[in-house]
Amino acid sequence: METVLSIEDLHKEYSGGWRKPPRTALAGLNLVVPRGKTIGLLGPNGAGKTTTLKCIMGLIRPQAGKIDLFGGEVTGAGVRKSIGFLPEQPYFDLYLTPRKLLAYYGRLSGMHEADIAARTAFLLNLVGMGEEADLSMDKYSKGMLQRIGLAQALISQPEFLVLDEPSSGLDPLGKLQVRDLLLGLKGGGTTILLSSHQLSEIEEICDGVAIIHKGANIASGGLDELLRPREEYEISLEKSPPPAAVELPASASWADPAQTRLLVNKGELNEALRSLLERGALVAEVRQRRMTLEEYFVEQVGSEGWEVGE
Amino acid sequence: MGGRGVRAIGTFAWSVVQDALHRKVFYAILAFTVVLILFTPLIPSADVGVQIDLMREAALGLTSIMAFLLAVILGATIIPGELGRRTLYNTLSKSVRRWQYYLGKYAGIVLVVATSLVLTFVVLILFVLIRFGVFNPGLAKALFAILLEAAILVSVAMLASVYFSPLIGILLTGLFYVACHVKGDFLYRGMTGAGQNPVVKAISGLFYYLLPNLERFNINETIAHGERVFEVGAVELLLLFAIAATFSAIFLYIGGYLFNRRDL
Repeated sequence: METVLSIEDLHKEYSGGWRKPPRTALAGLNLVVPRGKTIGLLGPNGAGKTTTLKCIMGLIRPQAGKIDLFGGEVTGAGVRKSIGFLPEQPYFDLYLTPRKLLAYYGRLSGMHEADIAARTAFLLNLVGMGEEADLSMDKYSKGMLQRIGLAQALISQPEFLVLDEPSSGLDPLGKLQVRDLLLGLKGGGTTILLSSHQLSEIEEICDGVAIIHKGANIASGGLDELLRPREEYEISLEKSPPPAAVELPASASWADPAQTRLLVNKGELNEALRSLLERGALVAEVRQRRMTLEEYFVEQVGSEGWEVGE
Repeated sequence: MGGRGVRAIGTFAWSVVQDALHRKVFYAILAFTVVLILFTPLIPSADVGVQIDLMREAALGLTSIMAFLLAVILGATIIPGELGRRTLYNTLSKSVRRWQYYLGKYAGIVLVVATSLVLTFVVLILFVLIRFGVFNPGLAKALFAILLEAAILVSVAMLASVYFSPLIGILLTGLFYVACHVKGDFLYRGMTGAGQNPVVKAISGLFYYLLPNLERFNINETIAHGERVFEVGAVELLLLFAIAATFSAIFLYIGGYLFNRRDL
């Protein structure tokens, strides 16, 4: 499979300052991003996610290891024309208007003026900022700046997008828009590497994840292969039986206070179903439960230091 | 350097000009200088002939201070400011090289200082003409020398700002300015003085030969007094330009090299 990014044994240590020990940010990180795939980078705070992204963009120099982008060198400026980068909580010179800002980044990306104008108009509409294109950004909310950040990352029509917390600071509607936008880009064949605390976002958008912990990739793969099915079933009810009327198997437990979803082990599924039906319940759906990304993550990393996004 | 490189440098330079035009400190320094220039005739003097010389000298002195303040403040704050605001990440993730950014920002600051000097020159020449009835385009020579000195200061301030905070950068550039102005006298005496401590001699000698003599760029007095004693010709101005270009290039090279290696 063709890879857009391949990282081998990446090491990075930050000096701790005067009389302080150095801090290890990356300790032999490996990562592969295949072409056309969307990979989520997960990890607790301080795991090395942002350092990894900065190394990819040539903003930080690793002490050891190899970063291979499109088969070229990471420090080469030319290769960055094919990459769009959104840093965490992007900030801009606020006296500029979005149109002028995108024109500035377009010029830096080596685009022609005519292409810049057309691309700017397209992107501002794409991120829902078309009407604010000529207003200075000093009154913008964090969410609006985030959207402009996404637009600047897309200015050169990159093949590969590197996004650090793309939904950070966005309201629920904004998050939905970003999700749709990323799904659209993914559908168009753009390769995406995104670091996020939003597990639901990762689950919905990504084809695979890489879990970073203490500077190393401790687990990675496709979501389908990582989030294995459990030996547990969920029975959804359209009509619940009267409370306390049902004798349930030992492994069964209600998943909600309204008693519309029952969890039961595989071995006792038939017994639970029989008991429910005999007491007049209407079964809507029976499905095997899959491990959630959150459960998988906690299993890999432990709950220590982990902040799950809303 | 290809056309794309030149375009990137030009884009960075123009962004500095735009940024400066949105900074209050730029207008404050410019307005303060112009107001002070307009007040220079209040300097007490015995007769009219002396008054115009004194006025021109004071005005050029004020213009120097303005240019150096702009050079040092902009030079020492531009990189730490962009790093602090994280705008640098967006910029350097585009297909540009760090040295293009560094050189572009330098060119932009020099352009801002040059623009300020042109504006001050217009005020100055009109003021001298209206107040004393003398058309004095020769003042441009002094302003050119001020610009060259400011260009060196920008390169030093930017070099300091690669690793230091704006405040430390401003202080270091201030120290550089003072050392380069006293080198002909203070450092020379330290280097050659009889009975001087050998360590002091060695350090004085090192800095004497390493640092540029910025006092050469101070032709304000000569110009203010109408070049009656010494005329500043094209050769002298070219020499000043060569000195400024050489030292600026050295400091830009060191700064660019360090900036290229720095983690952001």
